[in-house]
Formats: sequence, structure tokens, C-alpha cells
Amino acid sequence: MLVNSVIIVLREVLEAALMVSVLLAISRPLQLRTSWLKTGLLLGLVGAVAYGLSIGQISELFEGVGQEVVNALLQFAAFVSLVVSVFLIARQNCEPYRSGSLLPVAMASAIVLTVSREGSEILVFVSGFVQMEGFASNVGIGSLVGAAIGYSVGVLFYYFLLSLEDRRTLRISVVLLTLIASGVIRQATGLLIQADWITVMGPLWDTSGLLAEESLPGQLLYALIGYEATPSKVEVLMYTASITAMIIAIAAGLKTSPHNRMKS
Amino acid sequence: MDLILRELRSRFWLIAAASLLAAVAYAATPEYEIEIKNHLFVPDVVTIPANTKVKLVVYNRDATPEEFESFELNREKVILGGRKAIIFIGPLAPGEYPFFGEFNAQTALGKIVVQDDADAS
Repeated sequence: MLVNSVIIVLREVLEAALMVSVLLAISRPLQLRTSWLKTGLLLGLVGAVAYGLSIGQISELFEGVGQEVVNALLQFAAFVSLVVSVFLIARQNCEPYRSGSLLPVAMASAIVLTVSREGSEILVFVSGFVQMEGFASNVGIGSLVGAAIGYSVGVLFYYFLLSLEDRRTLRISVVLLTLIASGVIRQATGLLIQADWITVMGPLWDTSGLLAEESLPGQLLYALIGYEATPSKVEVLMYTASITAMIIAIAAGLKTSPHNRMKS
Repeated sequence: MDLILRELRSRFWLIAAASLLAAVAYAATPEYEIEIKNHLFVPDVVTIPANTKVKLVVYNRDATPEEFESFELNREKVILGGRKAIIFIGPLAPGEYPFFGEFNAQTALGKIVVQDDADAS
């Protein structure tokens, strides 16, 4: 039960931690105050509790696939927040951000949506087992260890990004956000397949022999780029479309940037 | 802007077409029931026909929550204590697809066996 709790909580925390560390790393060169993070995490926690408490009723929606549909909706919304974010980040062209609150709001909402979804699962797990005698200590300790490892990975990642030169930090972060956001859409598509809202034929390829999803690198890549060993055609299509949408947003941001350097 | 609009429109049609297909396929979807009892799956082996989409109905008879999870099937779903969950799988190629209860991964183990000649119930 101990190892099990570590893995369960780590898997959920990892995704949110990576997203937070990339967004946080972006804030530094743009000289954004990081109050958006506190607001995002706090509202995300509230969302996680609300979602966790009502997951029974939500599951029954849409003929028993409410969980999939709501999760997919949260993921689509997080994707939109990230598209808006990269557009605004690209527009800054590495100049300090002083143009209102749209970027902090977009970044915070990506966090709220992600933490609500991942956090609710942790809450369901912990609240389900922590009251049982004998399990309490193991589940408690395991969850804390899992959360701590996830947090540490996020911190390491954040400092790695910050150790680079500003312009490079931004560039790499925007590329990472593109991959994270597209991974989120890949997952959402998978959920709609599970809910039978999208019909698929079969997997397009199988790389489970090469890199198993349940392995540690597999799980890291799952959180970072939405790695899936046996994706269906629709998932690959949606993933590609998401990357395209993100690139368009970045290009549009760069093109309309008020900070374009004058040619001398 | 035009490009984004076009993108959205093509996605809409993709989803609309997929939903229509799903609605047509729904009528013929065979159903299989699995129970979770004392953190075990009953039955722990479910045989389904190849290349057919099926509907799994998983009843959690325990008081504690469980998460039905399978890397091979790409499925993941939380099932609260005393509740049931509906999970669609397939169409699948013949073979074995393990699944487990993530909250009790030591005991809650099972597999879907996909066979060419299995009857759709």
C-alpha cells in the first residue's frame, strides 16, 4: 500500500508540477509577479475538493461517462488557456510584460483546470483509504512521499530552465508548453474514446516494446508530451492539430508583437 | 485567423462524423460485467471477440474507491465504493490485455482475452 500510494500520488502531481514549473520559469524573464501562481493553486485546490466531492454524481452523467466528458472538457479548456498564454508570451519578444492581466489570468486558469482534475483523484484516493484502520499511516506517508517527489522534480526542472539565458529559457519553455498542451489534448481525445464519443479502429502503432508507458521514463514522457505507446489515428491527428494550433499562436504572437526590433 | 477558423471547422466535422459513427455502432455493442469484491476482480478473465467494440460494466462492491486502469487498453477510470462504471474498449486485435485496480494494485488484477472466435454475448 505504501509504494502504491507513492506511485498514485506521484503520477497525478507530476503533470501539474511540470506545467507549473514551466509557467513559473517563463514569469522570470517577463518580470511577471508570481501572484498568479498562488491564486491558481488555491482555486485549483478548491476545484479539486468540489470535483472530488461530486465525482459520484458527475460519473453518472451522460449515461455513465460523465467523468470522461468532464475531464476532457477541463483538458480542452486548459489547452485554450495555454494557447492564449503562448500567444501573449511570444508577443512579448522577451521584453518585460506590462500589458494588463490577460497573461497571468491565462496561466492561472491553466493551473486551476489542471490542479482541479489531478487533485480530485488524489482526494478520492486518500479520503477513501485514510479512514480505514491500518491503512491510514501507509496511505498518508505514501501520499506525502509521492507529492514530495513530484514537487522536487518540478523544482529541479524550474531551476534547470532558469539556469539558461533569458531568451533561451523562454524559447525552450514555449516549446515545452506546446508539447504539454498537445499531450493534454491527446489525453482528452483518449477519454472521449473511452466514453465512446469517438469511435476508433485500432492503434496506429505500438511502441510498448520500445518504451513501456508504465516505466518511469514512460510516465515522465506521459506527463511531458502525453506519451502513449498504442495511439489511435484520431489521437495522432488531434495531437498534430494541437501542435499546429500552438505554432500558429506563437507565430501570430511574434508577428503582431509591439516589441519587434526596428531594422537599422 | 482564417487558418484557426478552418482548423476549428475541420475539427467540428471530425467530431460530428465520429459521433454519428458511434451512434450507429452503439446498437450492436456487446456488454460484459465485472465486479470488484474485496479488492479482487470477479471474474478476473473476460473473453471478448476480436475487432469488436464492447461495453464493460464494472461494479465496485467494496466500500472503498477503486481506479480501473490498463496501460495496454489505454483506460483509466475512478469507481467510487458501491458504484458502477461504464468503460468502452476495442475494437482489439486478438491477444491478452491486462488491467488492474490502481488503488489496490497488488490484488486487483485481471485481463481481457481477445479471441477470434469468442461469442459476442
